[in-house]
Amino acid sequence: MNKQIKVAIVGQPNVGKSSLINAMSNAKLHVGNFTGVTVEKKEVFVKSDLFDIKMTDLPGIYALNAYTPEETVAKNFLLNEQYDIILNVVDANVLSRNLMLTLQLLDMHKKMILVVNMIDEIEAKKGSIDAKKLSILLGIPVILTSAKTSQGIDEINKTIIQTYRAKQNDNKIYYTQKVEERIKELTKVLQKSPHFKDKDYARFIAIRLIDKDENVYKIIHDLPIFIEAHNVLEKIYSSLTAELDEDSTVDILSNERVAIAHNLHIETVNIKEESKNLNEKIDNLLIHPILGLPIFLFFMWALFQLTFVLGNYPMNIIGDIFTYTATTLADILPNGTVNSALTQGIIPAISAVVMFLPNILILFFGLNLLEQTGYMSRAAYLMDGFLKRFGLQGKAFVPLVSGFGCTVPAYMAARTLKNPKDRIITMLVLGFMSCGARLPVYILLIGAFFPTHDAGNVLFAIYISGAILGLIFAKILRVVLFKGEPEPFVMEMPPYRLPSYKALYMDLWYKTKMFLKKAGTFIALAALGIWFLSTYPHNSALEKSYEIKIQHTKNIQIKKQLQNELSAKSLEESYMGHIGKFIEPVFKPLGFDWRMSVSVIAGLAAKEVVVSTMATLYSVGNASNTSKGLIQKVRENVSFNSAIALLIIIMIYSPCVAAMSTFYAEIPQWAWRAFYTIYPNVVAWLFAYGVYRLLSAVGH
Amino acid sequence: MQTKTISDLQISQEATVQKVIAKEPVKSRLFAMGIVKGAKIKVLEHTLAKQTWDILSNNTKIALRQEEARQVVVQ
Repeated sequence: MNKQIKVAIVGQPNVGKSSLINAMSNAKLHVGNFTGVTVEKKEVFVKSDLFDIKMTDLPGIYALNAYTPEETVAKNFLLNEQYDIILNVVDANVLSRNLMLTLQLLDMHKKMILVVNMIDEIEAKKGSIDAKKLSILLGIPVILTSAKTSQGIDEINKTIIQTYRAKQNDNKIYYTQKVEERIKELTKVLQKSPHFKDKDYARFIAIRLIDKDENVYKIIHDLPIFIEAHNVLEKIYSSLTAELDEDSTVDILSNERVAIAHNLHIETVNIKEESKNLNEKIDNLLIHPILGLPIFLFFMWALFQLTFVLGNYPMNIIGDIFTYTATTLADILPNGTVNSALTQGIIPAISAVVMFLPNILILFFGLNLLEQTGYMSRAAYLMDGFLKRFGLQGKAFVPLVSGFGCTVPAYMAARTLKNPKDRIITMLVLGFMSCGARLPVYILLIGAFFPTHDAGNVLFAIYISGAILGLIFAKILRVVLFKGEPEPFVMEMPPYRLPSYKALYMDLWYKTKMFLKKAGTFIALAALGIWFLSTYPHNSALEKSYEIKIQHTKNIQIKKQLQNELSAKSLEESYMGHIGKFIEPVFKPLGFDWRMSVSVIAGLAAKEVVVSTMATLYSVGNASNTSKGLIQKVRENVSFNSAIALLIIIMIYSPCVAAMSTFYAEIPQWAWRAFYTIYPNVVAWLFAYGVYRLLSAVGH
Repeated sequence: MQTKTISDLQISQEATVQKVIAKEPVKSRLFAMGIVKGAKIKVLEHTLAKQTWDILSNNTKIALRQEEARQVVVQ
């Protein structure tokens, strides 16, 4: 076996790391998660004659001061994991800003390579970067690359191997004398501890401490030298800030790095200032104070049209294929448990997972496109002012609106929110956005209780009040559960770029795989569970008596009637029926009978199931909401007040198992999972009860 | 003398950053984005109600909320 070289790929966000990795030929990519967090972990494997190179692509970080969970993951990796070389990727267009991170990384004094990416964009502007000079000044190898033109890509592996074999270079980056004196002073104290025998490591820790790095402060906190180090550190804080007239040593180090980066830039980058380019012209239109919003809304409208209208075709086809398979198998296989479990349990369960794929693929293709072109941050910019009032962030708009289509991809779209609090709040209120599957239920109830000319208005009112409720709850959650400072909003708006198709397609492929793997297991199991509850226990005596009756009638109408009666009675006697009867008292105050209660519970499987369950339980022909029979039956059996209460329950209570499974897959904390599972149902009941009482009070 | 911050600037007005008075972690984030003492910035755009600002600094476009814009003193 060859020797393995471990490389950590580090860079600020938007420097094109993913495109760079995708441009590497003969590289094998593996995508997973960092343990315990939903932060994507990409690993690249390259084989050469003598060495195997394993590169871990760390999430983009602006600085070593961790802020988001992604940054924490990257920082922890850099500080605690074993690796041989840091591959630092920077964007040639914003070299001096990117070098700020490079300088922090250089403090670590590890073997390092600087990759200056997107060099083609500099060359297109007739500019150049002196890689040789930059390499001499920084004391590390520098490669100019472009993922687009493949320039320099092959050099990366060669340089990794050379650097691995070469000796560690001497440090070439020093701060000004006043700062260096303090670093030396603190380094000496640290070196008294066996932890920091290595001088370079001690120096790095000293710099991090002067930079007020809390994670590093925790490292020294438990050491015997802590008190001495702490005293020296306090002295440094006060003397340095006094001497240099700054608020904090953080400002001082930052100023120093800015100065160094600026000088490096002047020494090595040759570029003429360009006039207003295409990029700014696009922005003038897309984030125009007045036009920006309608343009954005149009994009969103188009995306959802594509997702849910176009996605409907493959969805139906997939549904048909699975139904056909199930019915064919049902005829071929001998009657019995296996047959029933397979054709009514497992196949529909798998179908329920696969059915969502077209929607997810289209929506994610669109979202990736928006993200990669740089438009997503503009959308956040446009929507932030509005959503801020409700304690949400600008980017939350996309998942929230996706929620009107289907909650499953909407939960996944919430991944674009990097801040965990923003993400949790957004996901917790997503269910208030009525998804497409609830529409049949609304249509049934509205059809039964409202005149046709009011139907549109009522439907609109349902959707709008759901959205408003969601925003109000977002505000409540932010105030009650996430007290304290509001989340800051400082966001880079990267220049518009054409997307890399390979990166687009790779990302889509991995998202699909992850969805099938994670949600797939949850969804299939949950659907199987619901099938079991509504099928068992079998009452063979009942079945036999009906079978005989069915065989004896010739009239097709009556045959159908009997079949429906049988399924209604079977459902009543199943575990599901028992559960329905058991929880009937819960719904009693809303005027629900056990049939409505069962329907509500069945709606957890999928919202459309509410309609088919009601159809079965009220025993009317085919389970379709358009059938006049069902509307008639519902009108006869359900009071107006209870119908409104049911509408409210459907609007607010837990989404289907598919959506819930996706939430569980995305959010690892059990406390949040539990809260998510309980609170919408409590809220739904309270609202339904309130409205029910109100309607009764006004004499309905 | 009253201090002037980014939120007092007009669209397409340029200025030099004098001081970042934000607290952590906003401060470090602003620093990392290149909004540091001495940096030249330009206001590219703001939303109608001036809730969100689009700033150009060092070839990088940065979106800020009004709250953060008020914490960058300029000249």
